[in-house]
Amino acid sequence: MNILCLGVNHESAPVEVRERMAFAHKHLAESLHEIQAIEAIDEVVVLSTCNRVEIYAVAEKLEHGFDRLKEYLDRHFEMQVGELVDFYKLHNESAARHLFSVAGGLDSMVLGETEIFGQVKQAYADSQKAGATARMLNKLFQQAFRAGKLIRSSTELTRGATSVGSVAVDLAEKIFGDLTSCRVMLIGAGDMSRRTAQSLHSRGAKSIIVSNRSYDHAVELAKQMDGKAVHFDNWSDSLDEVDIIVSSTAAPHHVIHAEMISSAMPRRGRQPLFVIDIAVPRDVDPAVGDIENVYLYDIDALEGIAAGTRNDRKKQVAFCEQVLDQFIEERGIEALVPSSGGRPPQTLESTRKPDMDSGSTEALPES
Amino acid sequence: MDKFFLVVSTLCFFGGFVYAVNGLRAGRHHDSRANLLVMAFGFLFLSATLYLRGQMHHRCPITSLQEVLIFLSWSMVLLYFILGKSFRLSLLGVFIAPLVLVFQLFALAGFFLEGAPETTSEHTDKMDGWLELHASVSLVSFGSLALAGVAGLMFLVQDRQLKRRQLKALFYNLPPIRYLTIAVIRLIVIGVILLTVGIISAFLMENVPAPLHQGLSMLAWLAYIALLVLYATKRIGATKLSQGAMGLFLLPVLILLVL
Repeated sequence: MNILCLGVNHESAPVEVRERMAFAHKHLAESLHEIQAIEAIDEVVVLSTCNRVEIYAVAEKLEHGFDRLKEYLDRHFEMQVGELVDFYKLHNESAARHLFSVAGGLDSMVLGETEIFGQVKQAYADSQKAGATARMLNKLFQQAFRAGKLIRSSTELTRGATSVGSVAVDLAEKIFGDLTSCRVMLIGAGDMSRRTAQSLHSRGAKSIIVSNRSYDHAVELAKQMDGKAVHFDNWSDSLDEVDIIVSSTAAPHHVIHAEMISSAMPRRGRQPLFVIDIAVPRDVDPAVGDIENVYLYDIDALEGIAAGTRNDRKKQVAFCEQVLDQFIEERGIEALVPSSGGRPPQTLESTRKPDMDSGSTEALPES
Repeated sequence: MDKFFLVVSTLCFFGGFVYAVNGLRAGRHHDSRANLLVMAFGFLFLSATLYLRGQMHHRCPITSLQEVLIFLSWSMVLLYFILGKSFRLSLLGVFIAPLVLVFQLFALAGFFLEGAPETTSEHTDKMDGWLELHASVSLVSFGSLALAGVAGLMFLVQDRQLKRRQLKALFYNLPPIRYLTIAVIRLIVIGVILLTVGIISAFLMENVPAPLHQGLSMLAWLAYIALLVLYATKRIGATKLSQGAMGLFLLPVLILLVL
């Protein structure tokens, strides 16, 4: 028996293709039964996310299995004759290694993101519930979860934040710890400040004050976040009440001055104040950052940290690969999947992208 | 045997410190459990050292500067185990280890260069309960104040990284600055309460301590109270509180030096 992986991801197919091939969750059980009913296929798991659609299956004959799966996908998604989809086809060791990489976030568009781990778990649970898995895929996916956890716990791949919003949240948590008691003020209700505030809100920040030149706009945003709106002329009156300020007005000059903050600090018990300036030109006088217990970050600083994290994660990839190698070596790939005695199918026409699964010698092209 | 245990304990703290620093420098995941285990072994051997010396003296083993340093190290690690977890300060051990290491190296050097003081019948005959209470409680209070200084240092490191936007491996391993501020305050409060007990018991001793010793103890007590009052009345912020917690630890060190 062989383990097969047939799929497309963010590197091999554009979003137009991926969105067409997405399996609807409410019909997934039905699809799993249809695939399992194919005479060449014994077990199946379908992993369908925004960035990938992958079918993991068990089949006795490798080439035959891939052909039947491909036919099923053509039929299921009503592909036109001659329509080319750049599928990758992996089997046995390379399929297992690919799944371990996926579970560990190594194959994700945002390297090291952790959401994929939950998605793999969900895909496996759905298949198990539908009775579409048995000994081989059960074993493979259990090992994939172990590999994913190992990568997260023994490397720094998931450390830090990769977007401006998540960097702001990370910093807020390093200043205040638990954000549930934090009060946030938005000065300017632009898209960027709204997204940053939403990130903070999602981590527990509850009390949100919105101030905008257009009061109606402030009221609308405050309503969305269970906060309150204040008139733009009066925002400084609320300085004593807040722990985090997110500023993003279109003003051509500084809106928040050092004197304002200096005089507000004793009134607010000299508690830490986190000021996020995402406006260009900047809203906050840089001298604000020199005040004791005030932490000022402008858009360049936040972007710089996010870029640094992305860079650090790239540097971690080689180490993660080593961790995976060691994981596979310790368990023995033969214990996870059948040995790859058979030759890979030879009837494939198109070539795969060279950067796909660079570590795999068994990646198979497909037209 | 007590010296052997002290050497093993010192090696444990040295090993724990080197392991943690290497992990942080390499940017690898910091396994606080391994570090905690090494600290626990160090603490066990330190306890064994104190137990053996206590048996030797038939009293609390604080009869020399070396023993005082060992007792101080022991009280710091004990407080770390009791309070570190509740303050979410897992990395505190990394910062305590070098301080404990320095104290123990001084104690070891003293033992080996001057020879460890042996017990005499005089020690047991002259045992004063108030002296025992004064010395032991004061040393635990110094342990707490030392930890406050260490938590203050951690605050200043984290504050500096946040201000300079240098988010290195240490940044991700250090606790939030609000938690560090709370830890500094609580450790000073615990230290001051114990110091109060220590000072009161000193007045009840058969032989009242030297005026310089008492004067320095009162000065330390007043200085820490003043620091807490300044923070509580919002005259200073967390940065100055942390700087104060670090700087004022000089007073307990002076008290130990004039013993």
